[in-house]
Amino acid sequence: MSDLIQILILGLALGGVYALMGAGLSLVFGVMRIVNLAHPSLIMLGAYVAYWAFRLYGIDPLIILPVAMVILAATGVILYKLVFEREARSAKYSEMTVLLTFAFAMVFEGALATAFTNTQRVTSPAYATDAIFIADIFIPLGQLYAGIVSLVLIAGLALWLKYTRFGYAIRATTQNREAAELLGVNVNFVGLVSFAIGLALAGAAGALVSFVFSFYPSKHWEWIAILMSLVVLGGMGSILGTVVAAYTLSVVAAYVGFFFGATWSTLTFFVALFVVLLVRPQGLFGEKPELA
Amino acid sequence: MTKLLEVKDVVAGYGDGPAILNGASIDVQPGKVHCIIGPNGAGKSTLLKAICGMLKVRQGSVMFKGQNLKGKRPDQVLREGICFVPQERALFPKMTVRENLRMGGFSMTDKATLEKRIDEIEERFPILRERRDQHAGTMSGGQQQTLAMARTMILRPEIVMLDEPSLGLAPKIVQEVFDIMKVMTEDGITVLLVEQNALMGLKHADWGVVLDLGRTLFEGPAKEVLTDPRIQELYLGGQKAA
Ligand SMILES: Nc1ncnc2c1ncn2[C@@H]1O[C@H](COP(=O)(O)OP(=O)(O)O)[C@@H](O)[C@H]1O
Ligand SMILES: [Mg+2]
Repeated sequence: MSDLIQILILGLALGGVYALMGAGLSLVFGVMRIVNLAHPSLIMLGAYVAYWAFRLYGIDPLIILPVAMVILAATGVILYKLVFEREARSAKYSEMTVLLTFAFAMVFEGALATAFTNTQRVTSPAYATDAIFIADIFIPLGQLYAGIVSLVLIAGLALWLKYTRFGYAIRATTQNREAAELLGVNVNFVGLVSFAIGLALAGAAGALVSFVFSFYPSKHWEWIAILMSLVVLGGMGSILGTVVAAYTLSVVAAYVGFFFGATWSTLTFFVALFVVLLVRPQGLFGEKPELA
Repeated sequence: MTKLLEVKDVVAGYGDGPAILNGASIDVQPGKVHCIIGPNGAGKSTLLKAICGMLKVRQGSVMFKGQNLKGKRPDQVLREGICFVPQERALFPKMTVRENLRMGGFSMTDKATLEKRIDEIEERFPILRERRDQHAGTMSGGQQQTLAMARTMILRPEIVMLDEPSLGLAPKIVQEVFDIMKVMTEDGITVLLVEQNALMGLKHADWGVVLDLGRTLFEGPAKEVLTDPRIQELYLGGQKAA
């Protein structure tokens, strides 16, 4: 019994990290209709920021997390200004951005590999290898912290979207860009800010995964596969859907791993994707696809 | 008669594409309901988009109270006092009714005034108060149109432009749309209406404008337009005037 509870807790903690990874991707897709395939490679950049800050200066990844967020947000602003703002006026916007972000993913991977080699890394603050026991339930502290910080960030994002004026602007633009513009929303600026926030969340996720998983530059392909399935499952662009999908699947994957072995654990995401696409193609929280 | 808005020989189109409007003109008089009619594809929606700044006016002028709106962005036109309710999806389907109303006042800086105006709107349209916390997308078509139209009144605009507000509504509900339009005019709002059903649109309007192939064929008092033989001619074959 305590095994089962322990797996639930681990699943939830990891689910939080996946949710954080997916929330940024989903936010950007919702507002800008960009499927940012480079998102996980930017999470990787966040992980390296945390890794080197710890390795060189002994700074705790949880302390460096806001810095990683700022660095990634700035990267987002530059990318948006240089590429996506101009691209948005092109008729082939959607197709173009898929190719563009795919290219960026490869470029970032190459740059990281050149700079830091393909060695497996993991940030190792003391808590990353520590654990607590509640009754006889064993909880690794690293995963617990990562799960809690993720949850706090996601809740913060949700409250900000729900209650602030800018949050209204983002939700409105996601749901009906034209109507938002007609009511005075500067949709281009909303795009810029959403992109920056999406990447800031990638930076935070990077700092967290840096002590939860070992990583190396090309590992982002593994993440993109998982994140894609989360975003599609959640109903493209629905942040709530993505978060629910992340928690649910992460817990299921944890149980699958426990009962059938770790190899099968990752497969959970793709089987779920396959089933949902067959049964409910608009995803858990998506609307029915519209004609034309 | 003084003109509130004078659209003159406007040429406009989408992006770098061909001109869809080729000499569209309207005279808009304060406080009146103006109905733009014309066959499908005549450029009625395009004309409203050009006025509100969503499309670039390539030639001609859009004079509003002595200044040219040509070249202004939608948010600037809105601030001048012209609201546009686009065809069909004007709402944010996954925002609540109240959040949609708040979005109506997005350009207002004074939050207290905004909340007060929302209260007033809910007072006048009780269904919106009743449905306050419901997602807009889950309401009936008529309720959604009520919300879309009521939402424009938050800004107390001078002109409201409605693109086929009765589209897809049951005949019984359509009358509600025209009732709200009446409420608007009682508030001193000038209405610019695009209506596919020419007969019904003109019946509720003071002024009629006939658009075809991106040009204004003629305009005049709604009653005269309604009985003009050129209307019969225009709608012969494809659609009838009723
Ligand atoms: N987004 C668009 N891009 C390019 N052409 C368009 C667009 N929307 C409408 N058109 C074209 O403009 C013309 C007029 O359309 P519209 O103004 O919607 O007509 P109406 O509202 O009178 O039925 C049509 O030929 C249509 O194909
Ligand atoms: Mg139209």
